Amino acid sequence: MDLDYLAVVALSSLSSAAVLLIATLGLAVVFGLMGVINLAHGEFIMFGAFAALTASRSGLPFPLAVAAATLATAAFGVVVERVVIRRLYGRLLDTLLATWGLSLALYQTAVLIFGSVTPGIGMPISTIAIGRYTLSSYFLFLIGIAVALLLGTYLLLTRTHYGIMARAAVQDAETAAAMGIETGRLNTMTFALGSGLAGFAGAILLPAFPATPGMGFAFVTKAFLAVVAAGPVTITGTALTGGTLGTAASMTASFSATVFGDIVFFVGTLLILWWWPNGISDRWRRKL
Amino acid sequence: MVAERDLGPVATEAVAARAPDGAFDRAQRHAWWLLPCLTGALVAGSAGFVDPYLLYVATSWVIFGLLGLSLDIVWGKGGILSFGQTALYGIGGYLAGIVAINFAPLTGNTLIWTLPVGALAGAGAAALIGFFIFFSRMGPLQTTIVTYTFTLILWTGTVSFTARIGEAVVGGDNGMSNIPMLTAGFGAGAAPLGPAGMFITVVLVATAVYLAVAWLMRRPFGLIVIAVRQDDVKTELLGYDVRRQRLLLFALGGAVAGIAGALFGGWATYLNPNVFSVQQALLPPIYVLVGGRGSLFGAFIGALAVGGLSFWLGGGVIGGQTTLVLGLALIALVILLPGGLVGAARALLARCGLASVAAIPPATLGGYAGIPAASAQTALDRPGKSLTVQGISKAFGGVQAVDDVTLEIGSGSVRCLIGPNGAGKSTLLRLCMGLERPDSGSVRLGADEIARWPAFARVQAGLGIKMQRTQVFYECAVWTNLWIAAYARLGDARAAAQTAARALDQIGLRGRAHEPASALAHGEQQWLDIGMVLCLDPEVILLDEPTAGMTASETRRTAALVRALAGHAAIVVVDHDMEFVRMLDARITVLHQGAVFAEGTIAELRRDERVLDIYLGRRGGVADL
Repeated sequence: MDLDYLAVVALSSLSSAAVLLIATLGLAVVFGLMGVINLAHGEFIMFGAFAALTASRSGLPFPLAVAAATLATAAFGVVVERVVIRRLYGRLLDTLLATWGLSLALYQTAVLIFGSVTPGIGMPISTIAIGRYTLSSYFLFLIGIAVALLLGTYLLLTRTHYGIMARAAVQDAETAAAMGIETGRLNTMTFALGSGLAGFAGAILLPAFPATPGMGFAFVTKAFLAVVAAGPVTITGTALTGGTLGTAASMTASFSATVFGDIVFFVGTLLILWWWPNGISDRWRRKL
Repeated sequence: MVAERDLGPVATEAVAARAPDGAFDRAQRHAWWLLPCLTGALVAGSAGFVDPYLLYVATSWVIFGLLGLSLDIVWGKGGILSFGQTALYGIGGYLAGIVAINFAPLTGNTLIWTLPVGALAGAGAAALIGFFIFFSRMGPLQTTIVTYTFTLILWTGTVSFTARIGEAVVGGDNGMSNIPMLTAGFGAGAAPLGPAGMFITVVLVATAVYLAVAWLMRRPFGLIVIAVRQDDVKTELLGYDVRRQRLLLFALGGAVAGIAGALFGGWATYLNPNVFSVQQALLPPIYVLVGGRGSLFGAFIGALAVGGLSFWLGGGVIGGQTTLVLGLALIALVILLPGGLVGAARALLARCGLASVAAIPPATLGGYAGIPAASAQTALDRPGKSLTVQGISKAFGGVQAVDDVTLEIGSGSVRCLIGPNGAGKSTLLRLCMGLERPDSGSVRLGADEIARWPAFARVQAGLGIKMQRTQVFYECAVWTNLWIAAYARLGDARAAAQTAARALDQIGLRGRAHEPASALAHGEQQWLDIGMVLCLDPEVILLDEPTAGMTASETRRTAALVRALAGHAAIVVVDHDMEFVRMLDARITVLHQGAVFAEGTIAELRRDERVLDIYLGRRGGVADL
């Protein structure tokens, strides 16, 4: 086991963690600002992936296809929030059940429309070489995307009018409403933001993870666990838990099978929740 | 039918029977087991008149009903939404299958192998996961997510898992075949059951499991489960180890799921990772939602409805468009029919004036016909414990809520804690009780250092608290509330009834014993809460604003009650009502900004200018103190 090999494992683990963060951020935003977990998050990613696939096969250049997919998924999120989530405010378990139903309905709809196997998109796969090994440069690009996405979301929630209002509403919905903040509209926007991030994830990951109806399930195990392990300070917390557990999981997976990576993630989450039942960021003073 | 099945006291033997013991009353009291037995017998007996293929398929509906029952146990009764029931079902099925393949040839009979192995495997796996969930005190969201990811991991894991265990070959995606078909006979010549025999066997097993669960739910165990669902903190403050209680319930659900899995394996003679799939995992919540949460038998109705519907519409339960329909059905159920078909039907009947909507199931109302006349209070000849708090501190974020407080409350004495809002009074009580962890300092109860003990252990050691927010089990009858509290300490139904009856008289609510706690006025709920604390017979009692919401005369009666208790127990009272504090005539500690500010009798404090200053921000106008 030489140094090159270790470097490759480290880099690919880092990029897996980046993929996880990209796939998780939308979930974390919704959880942090609305207190619910969207169990259909994986299918929102799948929605974005198919939207980008359809757009790019109809001739749109890939960057534009990503943008279109992001917007389409966000718009879909608005519909879901208005039709389903809104009716279940304050009913946490019912929200979980309803979004779970949505998850399977979306999955089956995708099977009906696209079949279970779909063509990938023709992206030239460039690689970089480390010693005897090669790495896809797209995965390295994704590390940059993950960092940019984290920073962007952080700035959006701390520096914009919407972000400040939304964070006020989550801390004390009643006071926020009394001060004239429309919490209902904010929730719609937050859910749209979370959905948009999921759609973006599906689209930007498309060259590396081909669109399939079941792709959502592959992402959500780690995404759910990362968010739950992160706790109330979702953005920073998820970056921490997703980063560390994600790296540990993909290291494990690279030496054994994928499922062992998931098991490491699962056990790691259980251990974190053992010490901090509300997530690792339970007692942090910061708010994002 | 719902009402009759749930009817019946959990502690019948503890209370005198209703005087005119008519045949109808007797039938009602036995309905919980008679009706399921009759239903089971009727359903099993119908096997002779039904087409064998339909019988074969219907057998799986009964098995799925058991699977739904396992979720209704943990979710409907215990409030724990688990998405992992099919994982436990699959584990039970696989392990039972492995054992049956290897050992069933020895006996011919498969059931004696598969049922216990399935139950043990399901219960064991549930206990393992449940240990982490409940002993780390995860919240409801975390619990659901952990159970769901558990299912997802098993799904991906089993697809690639291959092993050979004795004669059994677990072939990953190919599944495990050659599971012996359900066989009831013994010996080498025992033939596998035909469709009718299989149906009857499964119905009998399901009836037996249902009866066992229904029986357990009528025991104190079931009442505590319902109490935990309504208010887990209050249940812990009565001295119950809520973690253990939830673990036991989850393991029970796991055992039922495992039995269902074992039956499924013997029915299908084949298992594959599909039993762990998300599509499969979606089914139990739908069964329970269709049948109505918490009714137990509703799970069977749900499984029958879903299974029957997809049978007559064509196609199996899983596969095809069923997933789409079921997914949308789940959304629709949650939004439109939270009470399920059974609940909706009952509401419809009620609107037509044909039935009354029982907002509170009779089981939780108690149905206690007779409450024993209270015997005289036995004289307490114990010294009682003292409560000593030393240098205790607690900060929330940047706020020092409690700052290096030292207090000693001698056995049998009364102490009032007063102070402006935000002085740290409630936090101090919560620290004493173990509802918050102190940053530093010690809490001693008698000779024991309890600062690190969980709350229920402190209660068992003789500490009782009535929190600021009234905590009673709103769905339960007044009498049941008290009984649950008394049972926590005594662990004996009859003795608990005696103690509860005494508390009922002490708080003057005997006339309303059978009403649900939610029907009481706020002041009466406060009394009920205090009455539950009295049932614990604590040696140190913490009362946080016991007179909030009480009328003047109610406040006077509360003061008299506290004075009567003094001498038997050390009492700490937090209150804003100076009239009430004056009536108690006790030593007073003034807290200010988390620290002890002054201490003395009411007369001494009245002369203290500084105390007057902090109370109103300036001197003068403090006629109240």
